[in-house]
Amino acid sequence: MYYDLNLKFNNNLEELLNESRRLGFSGVAIIQSSKKFKKDYIHDLKEFKVAKQMDIYSGVEIAARSVNDLKKKISSLRKKVDVLIVQGGRVKINRAACEDPRVDIISQPNKKRRDCGLNHILSKEAAKNQVAVEININSILQSRYSYRSKLFSQYRDILKLHEKFKFPIIITSAGTSIYDLRKPRDIIRLTQCFGMKKHDSVNSMTNSPTNILKRSKIRPEMIVNGVRDICTTDN
Amino acid sequence: MKLKILPSSLRHKKRYIAFEGISESYLNREDVISILWENSLNLFGECKTSNFNLWVMKIWNKKTVKNSNNFFITGIIQCKREEVDNVRAVIASVAWYKGKRVVFHTLGISGTIKSASEKFIK
Repeated sequence: MYYDLNLKFNNNLEELLNESRRLGFSGVAIIQSSKKFKKDYIHDLKEFKVAKQMDIYSGVEIAARSVNDLKKKISSLRKKVDVLIVQGGRVKINRAACEDPRVDIISQPNKKRRDCGLNHILSKEAAKNQVAVEININSILQSRYSYRSKLFSQYRDILKLHEKFKFPIIITSAGTSIYDLRKPRDIIRLTQCFGMKKHDSVNSMTNSPTNILKRSKIRPEMIVNGVRDICTTDN
Repeated sequence: MKLKILPSSLRHKKRYIAFEGISESYLNREDVISILWENSLNLFGECKTSNFNLWVMKIWNKKTVKNSNNFFITGIIQCKREEVDNVRAVIASVAWYKGKRVVFHTLGISGTIKSASEKFIK
């Protein structure tokens, strides 16, 4: 059961869903940008889910300018979607995302940086709050020469921290067209190029997404962290 | 004079990878060779690529789907048995060729050309 939790919303959505199903993904999440978020679109996804007989989830990617902006956007969008992704890059945003249990995935913490964007403190927080760190296949495919080798070295640093602190890692395609999608087993081989172990790669496309989706399902029943309302009686 | 063929114990063990490709432009065998070599050299460098024994055996151009600008091909690549994983990574890393989008997917791996084409191509 392979999942791709970051497919970008575009006009050729049907083609994208057909292709991802053909390649062997049993579930995908369609991610909208927080700037152009449309709630009606989530109803369309439910129709697709029935038509394609495939697990299709809704999601949003938050690109925040500041920590306050991030918190505001998380509060307003969390209940509307299944998967919430925060676009990383700046240290303060990375830290705020790792410290917030409402965040599912931190995307590209290394964006426009020379280091990997995570340290031991952020890694501990990410592990504590179960915030998954994304490894983006599209950024590998779109880069070449020195840019690609720097990206590999940043991913190696993330994997080193993952081995020590055990925060979840997730591999996504971040695809916008059929040309960005790859078969899960091809992705596993590609991730081995920067030293990711096979069982880690498989876990990050099977177990980690499943855990995120499970948590998202039970989130409305959660009263506070660790307490869940399992039986509500109507009086 | 042709060299005498090596005994089977001294020959490299081969594997045949069946693949499919989708592209925005028409691709022939030379294009596929140049795509694979270029991406292999980019991803692994000259030193490691020399160990792959890459060889494009055959390419089949398939009919394009109606109302679609995409071209479909299938083919078989020969490589060393020990390097199959790395060649798969090369196949997955293909994204662009001459400014047009290209994508290759592995269909399967086999020990002979016959079984590769029977199982995965036909």
